Amino acid sequence: MPLLNDLLTRIVSFAAMPAVIGVFVTAGLLVVSRDWRLNLIALAVQYFFVAVLMTQVVRLEMAAVKALIGWLICLAFYLTEQQAKSLTRASGERSDLSLQGWFSARLEGWRRQGISVRAAFGFMAATVVSIAAYAAVSAVPISQVSEEFLLACYLLGGMGILLLGLSQDPLRVGVGMLMFLSGFDLFYVALEPSLVVTGLLGSISFVIALGMAYLKTIQAATSDEETVG
Amino acid sequence: MIAGLLLFLVLPLALAGVVYTLRRWATLTALLSVGTALALGIAIVVLPLGRTVELWGREIVMGGTISLLGRELVLEEVDRVAIAFLYLTAAGVFALAWQVSPRAMLFPVGFGLLSLLSGSLLIRPLLYAVLLVEVAIALSIFALQPEDRGPTQGGLQYLSFSLLALPGLLIIHWLMERYALTPDNTTLLDTSAVLLSLSFALLLGSVPFHPWIPAVASTSEPLASAFIFTVNNGAIWFLLLAFLETYPDLSAYPGFASLVSSTGLAMVVVGGLLAASQRRLGRLMGYGTLVDSGVGLVALGMASEQGLALALLALLVRPFGIALMATGLKGMGAQVPGGDVPGALRGLAREAPWSALAFLVGGLSIAGLPVSAGFTGRWALYRALAPSSFSSVLTMIFASIGVMIGVWRGLSTLLSAPESSRGTGEAEGDGPLQRWLLAGLVVLAVAASVGVGLFPRLVTPTAVRLATLYTFLGP
Repeated sequence: MPLLNDLLTRIVSFAAMPAVIGVFVTAGLLVVSRDWRLNLIALAVQYFFVAVLMTQVVRLEMAAVKALIGWLICLAFYLTEQQAKSLTRASGERSDLSLQGWFSARLEGWRRQGISVRAAFGFMAATVVSIAAYAAVSAVPISQVSEEFLLACYLLGGMGILLLGLSQDPLRVGVGMLMFLSGFDLFYVALEPSLVVTGLLGSISFVIALGMAYLKTIQAATSDEETVG
Repeated sequence: MIAGLLLFLVLPLALAGVVYTLRRWATLTALLSVGTALALGIAIVVLPLGRTVELWGREIVMGGTISLLGRELVLEEVDRVAIAFLYLTAAGVFALAWQVSPRAMLFPVGFGLLSLLSGSLLIRPLLYAVLLVEVAIALSIFALQPEDRGPTQGGLQYLSFSLLALPGLLIIHWLMERYALTPDNTTLLDTSAVLLSLSFALLLGSVPFHPWIPAVASTSEPLASAFIFTVNNGAIWFLLLAFLETYPDLSAYPGFASLVSSTGLAMVVVGGLLAASQRRLGRLMGYGTLVDSGVGLVALGMASEQGLALALLALLVRPFGIALMATGLKGMGAQVPGGDVPGALRGLAREAPWSALAFLVGGLSIAGLPVSAGFTGRWALYRALAPSSFSSVLTMIFASIGVMIGVWRGLSTLLSAPESSRGTGEAEGDGPLQRWLLAGLVVLAVAASVGVGLFPRLVTPTAVRLATLYTFLGP
C-alpha cells in the first residue's frame, strides 16, 4: 500500500500542470458551448482534473469523494436535461435521439453557420478572464499553495463568475456556481482539510444542483403548458 | 434526558417531511406549521436555561454545550432571543400564507431553513455557521420559485450574490487565527476587514450589490420573499454580530463604523429614490426593504450600545411591514393574471379589499409612518442620531417619503376605475369562509402592527436587552 501511495503521489506531482490545462480547457468549453451534452462531459472531466489537483494537498480518499460528488451532480444534470427534453418533446418539438445524429447535426451547423456571435463573445470573455487569472497569480500570491494550483483556483472562480453573468438558463447558471465553488474549494481544502467542511461544501454543491434541476424542470413544464395552451 | 438544543434542529427537519407529505390538506399543513413554529418560538424563551424540565414525561435540558459530529453546539442568551425571533416570525408568515398561498413549498422548505439557520446560530466555530447559512440560502430556491411560472431571476440572483460572499467569510476565520498568532502582521487584519465588509454587503444586499432584492420581491413567491427578507436576513444580521463579537479587532477596525454608516445611507438613498419611481408593487416592496435594511446599518454605524439596540429594534419590527406587504401582493396577484403590472392592478382594491389593506399598512410600516410598527425604531433612531448627524436623519426622512410616494401611487392605481374587461365585485378568496378567514388574519396582523406602533414597549425592552448581551461595543 505505501508503494501504491508513493506511486500515486509521483504521478500526481507530474500531473499538476496537465490538470491545470485540463481545467482551463474544460472551463473555457463550458463558457463557450451551449450544447448540454458537451457541457456535461466537460463538467465531469473538470471534476476529475480538480480531484487530481486536490490530491496535492489532501488525501486521495478525500479528493475521490469530491470527484464523486461532482459526478453525481453531472448525473443529476443529465437526468434533468433528459426529463426537460421529454417534456418539450411532448409539446411537439423535434429532438435528435442518436449520438451519431447529434454529432453530424453539430458538424453541419458549424459548417453552415460558422461560430455564433454568442460563442465568439464567450470565447473573447473567457480569454480575458484567463489572462486576468494568470496575472492574478503573481499579483495576489498565496504562500500556502503552489502557483499552478492557484492558477487553477483563479481560473475556476473567474470562469464561474463569468458564466453566472452571461447566462439565464438555470443549468448554465448552476454550472457557473459550481465552477466558482470548485475553485474556492480547491483553495480552501489546502487551508482547512476537515471532513465536516468537505461535507458541508459538498452539501452546498448538491443543494445548488438540485435547485437548478428543479428550476429547469419547471422551465420545461411551463413552456410545455404555454405551447399546449 | 433530551438535549433541548436538538429539538430546534431535528424537530423542524422532521416537520418539513411531514408538512411536505400533507401538502394536499392545506389547512392542516398551515395549522401544523403555525402551531409548531409558535410552540418552538415560545419554548426557547420560556424554558429555563441550564435547568432540567419535565415535558410529557420526558426530561428536557436547555442550554449548555453539546457535541454534534465533533463540533460544539452552544446555546447562550443571545441565541435564545435570535432563535425565538426566527421561529415567531416564521409562524407569522406561515399564518398569513395559510389563506393566500396555502399549498406553497414555503411550509416544508421554511422548516428546513429554520433548522439550518438555528444550527448556524448555535454551532461553533463560526465557519460552520457560514456553511450552514449558505446551505439554507441554496435551499431557499425551492420556496422562492412560483410553481405556475417559468424560472424567475430573483432566486437565481439571490443565490449567486450570496455564494460570492462565501469565500470571504470562510477565509476571515483563517486570517484572524493567523492574526492572533502574529498581531504585528496588520495586513491580515486589513484583508479580514475588507472581506468582512464585502461579504456582508453581498449578503445584506447593500448598494451596489442590491439588484437581487427587487428581483426577489418582484418575481418570486411573495410570502417566500417575505420569509427571506425577515428570517434569512435576520439570521445574517445575527451572523454579522457574531463575527463582530468573536473578532473584536474587526469591530474596532479604524473606519469600520463610518463604512457601515455610509453603506446604510447609500442603501437608504437608492432605495428611497427608486421606491418613489416604482409602479410595480413587488419592486416597491424590494426597495422598501432596501431602505429598512439601510436604516438598520445606519443605526449599527453609531458604534454604541444604543445604536446596536436601535439596529436590533429595526430588525425585530421589520416582519410586520414586509409580511403584510407580501400578503397583499400575493392576495392581489391571485386575482389578476398580469401579476403586479400597474394596468392589471387598476381598481383591484374593490375586488381584493383585505389584500389591498394589508399592502397599504405594510407599506406604511416599511416607510416608517407614525402609528405603524416601523415608526417605533425610526423615531428612536432619529432622536438618537439628530445631535451628531442631522443630515443622516434628513436623508432617512426623505427616503421614507420616497417609499410613501411609492405606496401612494400603488394605492391610487388600486383605487382607480377597473379595466373594462375585468368584472368588479367580491372576488377575494375561494368562498365566504375563506374571505372571512383572510379578513380575520389581515385585521389581526394590522392590529399587531398598529399595536407595536402605539405601544413600542412591547418590543423595545427585548432589543435593549439583546444589545446589552453583545460586548464588542462600548456603552
